[in-house]
Amino acid sequence: MTTGRSMRAGEAVLGGGLIALGGLIAVETMLTPSVGRAVVGPALFPYLISGGLVLVGLSLLREAFAGAVAHAEGLELDLWAVALVAAGLAVQFLLLDTLGWIPSTTILFAAVSRAFGGRRLVVNLAIGLALAAFTFVAFNYGLGLNLPEGSIVERLTSADAE
Amino acid sequence: MDTLAALGHGFLVALTPYNLLWSAIGVTVGTAVGVLPGIGPALTVALLLPVTYGLEPTSAFIMFAGIYYGAMYGGSTTSILLNAPGESGSIVTAIDGHAMARQGRGAQALATAAIGSFIAGTIATAALTFVAPLMVKMALLFGPAEYFALMVLALTTVTAVLGSSLARGLASLFLGLALGLVGIDMQTGQARLAFGVPELLDGIDTVVVAVGLFAVGETLYVASRHRFETEEIYALKGSKWMSREDWSRSWKPWLRGTLLGFPIGTLPAGGSEIPTFLSYLVEKRLAKKPEEFGKGAIEAVAGPEAANNASAAGVLAPLLSLGLPTSATAAIMLAAFQQYGLQPGPTLFDNNPELVWGMIASLYIGNVLLLVLNLPLVGFWVKLLLIPRPWLYAGILVFSSLGSYTLNNNVIDLVILWVIGLAGFGMRVLNVPVAPCVVGLILGPLAEQQFRRALAISQGDPSVFLTHPISAVLLIIAALLVIGPMVLRYRGNGAGKSDGASPSGSHPAT
Repeated sequence: MTTGRSMRAGEAVLGGGLIALGGLIAVETMLTPSVGRAVVGPALFPYLISGGLVLVGLSLLREAFAGAVAHAEGLELDLWAVALVAAGLAVQFLLLDTLGWIPSTTILFAAVSRAFGGRRLVVNLAIGLALAAFTFVAFNYGLGLNLPEGSIVERLTSADAE
Repeated sequence: MDTLAALGHGFLVALTPYNLLWSAIGVTVGTAVGVLPGIGPALTVALLLPVTYGLEPTSAFIMFAGIYYGAMYGGSTTSILLNAPGESGSIVTAIDGHAMARQGRGAQALATAAIGSFIAGTIATAALTFVAPLMVKMALLFGPAEYFALMVLALTTVTAVLGSSLARGLASLFLGLALGLVGIDMQTGQARLAFGVPELLDGIDTVVVAVGLFAVGETLYVASRHRFETEEIYALKGSKWMSREDWSRSWKPWLRGTLLGFPIGTLPAGGSEIPTFLSYLVEKRLAKKPEEFGKGAIEAVAGPEAANNASAAGVLAPLLSLGLPTSATAAIMLAAFQQYGLQPGPTLFDNNPELVWGMIASLYIGNVLLLVLNLPLVGFWVKLLLIPRPWLYAGILVFSSLGSYTLNNNVIDLVILWVIGLAGFGMRVLNVPVAPCVVGLILGPLAEQQFRRALAISQGDPSVFLTHPISAVLLIIAALLVIGPMVLRYRGNGAGKSDGASPSGSHPAT
């Protein structure tokens, strides 16, 4: 159960994050040597936007401590499910280049299914595998796109050829 | 007469079997997308962008237009039978539509929505046919200063109109603007905010941001709330036909919804939410039995659904004639134009008439196809609602990662997708609307370009924005939109706390 107080904390984090982002943009723009002699250089809009970010961040901070926040009465969140979905996506992009599209996407499918309460792991893996294999074939051979088959597979197949 | 000749030519383009096929695919996919909870038209167009690389732009846009219209039809099915609006324009429909479904009148609610959508869509497409060329004439009067002012107005309205508080809307907008800065500056070739990562030099793709916010963020949010919410689906039963009374109570709301939806859609006012709310309020005021509203009044389904579809046509007018996106879906379609190296605006009408008019003609055809898809075949779409949620959302994420990866065949895009998705989840929990972020990301760099062009022409004199009358008026309206609510709230504080819960507080996939 996420309480109203943690919703306020969340809004404060958002406000603080925007201020930090504004500061980052301003510093990075200051450090970049300007090129060109246009009337308005490439630095003006970054400064304007970083100023806007800081102002909005401050007003969110004020709202977080004194004003109306969303779901002030609290909101129930199943953070375990969120973590599982996020982990599934992270595993996919970490393993995509080595294991390839089919295995990494199968893992993603199973992780998300579990997060949504699907308990039959084998069935979920099978459906994920079928979907991953189908998209791999359809997109690589049908539409001419390049989903990775994975460096491990490539090494194995090239070893076979020798 | 020119317009009719151009439209006739457009029909010749759209009626070739090949383009007809793409139109049919578009409306079918669009309806499916509209029906499925968790996916909206903006997301679908974004995901289909990489798939259409090899396609003729005309066929691609005929398909995109079909998806857009189809999603507007399909969204009503979800809100009526599931009480979970499939997209933001169907929030109002859900109120009385779901009440009708509970009383066993779901079929009539679906019928009035489908027929109303057809009538509104056809009238509004006709209006688009004649308004778009007029807007093109207006666009010819616009210089960089006017374009800049118009974009500022669009950014402010999208922000001020959506979400529960101005600060949250602005937070989303500035986040989008900041993301838009990343990459090589279009005029000087200087890298900005790339932090030495070569993949960032091309900028952050609008598609990745849209998919991250609409698909990944939304899926994370639904996953977090899934255990605490129950869904009830109502089966269709009894007579499928609308009674004489249903017809007589529906036809006026259809026409009034159209009259509200199209003009508001053409304004930079954030798409279909406002006209649907206005239509609901108007129908309630004019109804013979206003006490039925909220308990299953057919007028409250007929009017907003018509307004919803009419506004979809309205949104296309500024997109095609000015290159100005006023909703998230339009922003993605603008990204699609950029992918093909096309710039919407007067030059598009001059150089690619077969694309513009073929697309407009395909909207008429799509409407007819959609009426067939949604009236007799509605039972089939209802079955889509039965897909188990674990597989539905897992599938959505598989296609999201597929679409983002194939943009550049790059794992970095998947990392960006992940980060944006987590941010989108945070925004969703904190009730920060996501549409301003997407519109800001695509309009920000364009606005900057026009701003710098205007100042280059005026040799650095910033007063051009106020001495040109059109630009001055647009900027004043934009300022009023931001300052006005602040003043009202300040005054309202004395009388009583303003209610923080705006009707658009919840914002499903757009």
